[in-house]
Amino acid sequence: MEATRANDTGQTVGGSLMERSNFASEIPIFEIPGGVHPEEHKTRSNQADIRTLSLPDELIINIKGQAGNRSIPVVEVGDTVLKGQMIAECDGIFSSYQHAPTSGTIVAIEDRTIAHPSGLSDQCIIIQPDGKDKWCQLTPVRDFDQLSREEMLATIFESGIVGLGGASFPAHIKLKRESGIHTLIINAAECEPYITCDDRLLREHSREVLKGAEVISKLYSDIDIVVGIEDNKPSAIDALVSARKELGFSNIKIAVVPTKYPSGGEKQLIQIITGKEVPHGKLPADLGLVMHNVGTCFAIYETFYLGKPLIQRLVTLTGDACKEPGNYWVPFGTPVSHIINQTHAESPKRIIMGGPMMGYELPSTEVGIVKATNCIIMSAEGELGFDNPTLPCIRCGACMDACPASLLPQQLYWHAQADEFDKAEEYDLFDCIECGACAYVCPSHIPLVQYYRYAKSSIKNNRIEKTKAEKARQRHEARQERLERVKREKAERHRKAAEARKKAAQKAGKKDEKKAAVQAALERVKAKKKAQENKDDNKPATGEEK
Amino acid sequence: MSVLSSPFAKKPNTVTQLMLWVVLATLPGVFALVFFFGVGVIVNLFIACSTALITESIILKLRQRPVAPILWDGSAFVTAWLLALALPPLLPWWMTVLGTSFAIVFAKHVYGGLGNNIFNPAMVGYVLLLISFPLEMTTWLPPQELAAHPVGVVETVGIIFSGQGSNTATIDMLKQGVDGYTMATPLDHIKTQLAQGYRLPEAETAPIIKGLSGVGWQWVNLGFLVGGLVLMFKKVIGWQIPIGVLLGMGLISLPLFFANSDEYLFPMFHGFAGATMLGAFFIATDPVTASTTPKGRWIFGLGIGAITVLIRTFGGYPDAIAFAVLLMNMAVPMIDYYTKPRTYGHARNAKESS
Ligand code: SF4
Ligand code: SF4
Repeated sequence: MEATRANDTGQTVGGSLMERSNFASEIPIFEIPGGVHPEEHKTRSNQADIRTLSLPDELIINIKGQAGNRSIPVVEVGDTVLKGQMIAECDGIFSSYQHAPTSGTIVAIEDRTIAHPSGLSDQCIIIQPDGKDKWCQLTPVRDFDQLSREEMLATIFESGIVGLGGASFPAHIKLKRESGIHTLIINAAECEPYITCDDRLLREHSREVLKGAEVISKLYSDIDIVVGIEDNKPSAIDALVSARKELGFSNIKIAVVPTKYPSGGEKQLIQIITGKEVPHGKLPADLGLVMHNVGTCFAIYETFYLGKPLIQRLVTLTGDACKEPGNYWVPFGTPVSHIINQTHAESPKRIIMGGPMMGYELPSTEVGIVKATNCIIMSAEGELGFDNPTLPCIRCGACMDACPASLLPQQLYWHAQADEFDKAEEYDLFDCIECGACAYVCPSHIPLVQYYRYAKSSIKNNRIEKTKAEKARQRHEARQERLERVKREKAERHRKAAEARKKAAQKAGKKDEKKAAVQAALERVKAKKKAQENKDDNKPATGEEK
Repeated sequence: MSVLSSPFAKKPNTVTQLMLWVVLATLPGVFALVFFFGVGVIVNLFIACSTALITESIILKLRQRPVAPILWDGSAFVTAWLLALALPPLLPWWMTVLGTSFAIVFAKHVYGGLGNNIFNPAMVGYVLLLISFPLEMTTWLPPQELAAHPVGVVETVGIIFSGQGSNTATIDMLKQGVDGYTMATPLDHIKTQLAQGYRLPEAETAPIIKGLSGVGWQWVNLGFLVGGLVLMFKKVIGWQIPIGVLLGMGLISLPLFFANSDEYLFPMFHGFAGATMLGAFFIATDPVTASTTPKGRWIFGLGIGAITVLIRTFGGYPDAIAFAVLLMNMAVPMIDYYTKPRTYGHARNAKESS
C-alpha cells in the first residue's frame, strides 16, 4: 500500500518547489471548497533540528495567555518558584492553570503590553530566572490505566494544557464528552505558510506524539485514531509510520491530504477526512469526533509520562530577517525581543506572531510569548505585506472562490463596511473562520478579514449593550408595574366605597327621588364629616365623588 | 504605529493586472477586426481610450479623489477599449467621444465610481449611441476583400475626423463604392432581408455571408474566442458566464433552427456573428455588473445568451448583446439574492430567515 501514488486531488500551484509525499492516504479523503496555495516558505525553518534558546532576563507571563478567563495568580512578589510550580490557577473550567517555566523569583505582578494586535496591556507575572532551571517535584502517572476518566481529565486540566494549534482552547473541555465519540483526529495539517513546528515535532518526536494520542484514546472505550497530515511533510509522514510500527499502534491511520490552505482548520480537516461538515451551531463531538493538534498530544505525553506541566512550546522562528531560523523550545513568557536577539535577526521590518495568513503584527517586541504562539516571523523589508493601495471591490468573486466556508465574502464586506450588521449576519458572518483566504486573493487588496472582525465585534458589543438595555428596560417596567398596581388598588378601594354607599341608599328604600337625592346629599355630608374626623387621607376624595 | 492586518502573504493579483490581461486577450480579435475592417478600429480605440482617461481624471478631480491611483486601476481604460471594439470602424470621432464620456460619467461615476455601478458602462455608452445614431451605428465598412474601394489610413482618419477622406471620398461615396451591397453587418443584412420577405437561404447567398457567419466576422469572433479562453484558463474570468452565454444562445437558437431553418439562423451563425464572442468573454464577464455567486453567474450568462437570440430573432435590433447585458444587469441583485451558496455546516435547503 505504501508504494502506491498519493491520492492527488489538489493542485500544487505555487508550491512546486516543496517536496510532496508519495505516501498514499490510508483512508479516502474528500475535497473542501475554496482554499488557496500561498508560497510555502517552509524549508527555511524545517531543516534544522529543534533547538533551545538561552533564558531571558525576565519572563513576562500573561495571565490571559489562553482562550477563556484570566488565570488568578497564586504567588506574590518576592516569592521564589521552582520550574513547573503552579503560579496561577484557573478561574472556572474555561480557563487554564499556569506554571513557572523556570526557577526564579517573582519580581512583579503588573500590567505589561501583551501579545495582541492592539498593543493592550494586561496583568502579567514577571519572573526573574535564577539560572538554575530547577524543577519542582514531578509526579508522572505512567499507569494511567488505573486512573478514572475524571482523574485523567483533571491531570490534563491541572497541567495547564490547552490546544497548541493556535486557538489555545483548554484541552480538557474538548475531551469532556465521553459517549458517542468514535474517532480521534490528530491534526498535523500545518497549513499556514512558514510554520513548521508540528512538522519538526513529528520528525523528532513522533513516538511521544503517538503515545500522547494513545493517552487521549484511553478516555474513550472504542476509538479510531486518524492523523491528518498535508502531503508537504514527507519526512514527518515517514517518522509517523515508523513510530507507529515501533509502538505497535496498528489502530492509527494516516490520512495524507493535499497541500492547500486552510486544510488545517478544524472544520476543514474534518470535512477532508470524513466528508462531513460540522453542522452550524454544533460541535465536532456531535459528529462523534474529537480533534487535537500534535503539539497538544506531545504535551499530554509529557504530563502523563514525565509529570511535566505545560511550561513551554515549540515555536517556529523564521522570516528573512531571522539569521537562525528553525524551531525552538520557547518557555512561556519569553520576550519577543529576546527571541530576536537570540536568532540574530537583522533589523526586522515586521514582527508577526502566528503565520502570515492568520497571525498579527506585534506592535511591541516587549511581549511574552503565550501558549497560542506557534510562530514568530521576523520579516525583512519587502518580504511580507505590500504597499498596494486598497481599491474598490470590483465584485470579481475571487474571494468567494477562495472561501472554504462557501461564504460570499464580497457581500459580507459590502455590508460590514456599510455597518449593515444584520445583513452581514444574514450572510452568515459568524461562519467565517477568519482564515484570510479571501483577502489573500482579493485583487483590490481589501483587508476583508479586518472588516469581518470589526463587524463581529460590533455585533457582539451591540448584543451586550442590548442585554444591558433590556435589563434596564425590565427594571423600568417592573417599577412602572408597581406604580400601576398601587394606583389600581387605590381605585379599587374607591370603587368599593362608592358601591357600599349605593347599597346603603337602596336599603333605605327611598321611593321619592327627590327625597333620595336629599338623603344622598345628607349622606355625603355625613361621610365628609366622618372623613374629617378620621383624618383619613383618602376620604376627601371619596366625599367629592359623584 | 500602523499595524497591518492578516493575511500578510504576498497576493497573486491586482486589479491593474487583471485589466491588463483583459486588454491583452482582446488582441487576436483586434487584429482580425483591423485586418477585415481597416485601421478605423485602431483610431476608435485611440479616441475612446484618451477620452476615457481624460474624462475619468476630470471627474476624479471634481469628486476630490486621488487621480493617479484610480486611473491606474485601468478600469476606465478597459471600458473605453471594449466600447471602441463594438463601434463601427468609421464612426465620426465626436460620437465615440460622446459615447465614451457618457459611459464614464453617467454609467460609472454617477453611481459612485468603480465597483458601485449597476450597468456595464461600455454597454451603456454603446446603447446611447445606438439609440441616438442608429444609422451611423449600423453602418459598417465592407470587409476589405469585398470593398471596391479599400480605405487607407489617411482616408480613414479623414473620414472619422471630418467626414471627408483625402481622395475626397466621403462616407457616402464609400457606401456607394461597394457594388450595390449595403454596408450592414451580416446580422443586419439578414434581418433586413427577412423583413423584406426573403427566406433565409436566399438571404444567405449574399457575398458577405460567406463561411460560418459572414466574411471577416467569423475570424473576428474566433479571435475573441481564443483570447477569451486564455482569460478563462488564466482564471482572470470565471467560466460560468461565457459558457452560459453561449449555451443560452444555443438553447434558444437550436430549437428555432430545427423548427424552421428557412427563417431561423443556424446556432453556429449566432455564435460567430456580430459581437457574440466579445460579449460573452469580455463584456458579460465585467465582474462589477455581473452576478457574483456561482449559480448566479450561470443564470446571468444563460440569460444574456437567450435574450440576445430572442432580440436578434424577434426584436428590432440586429445585434443585441448590449441590450441583453443591460437587461441582465438589472436582474443581478435579485439573482444574487436567490443564489446565495450554502454555507459550511448549514442545512442544504436553508433559506435565510426573513
Ligand atoms: S476578491 Fe476583492 S474585489 Fe473581488 S469580489 Fe472579493 S472583495 Fe471584491
Ligand atoms: S476569512 Fe472568512 S470569508 Fe474569508 S475566506 Fe476565510 S472563511 Fe471565507
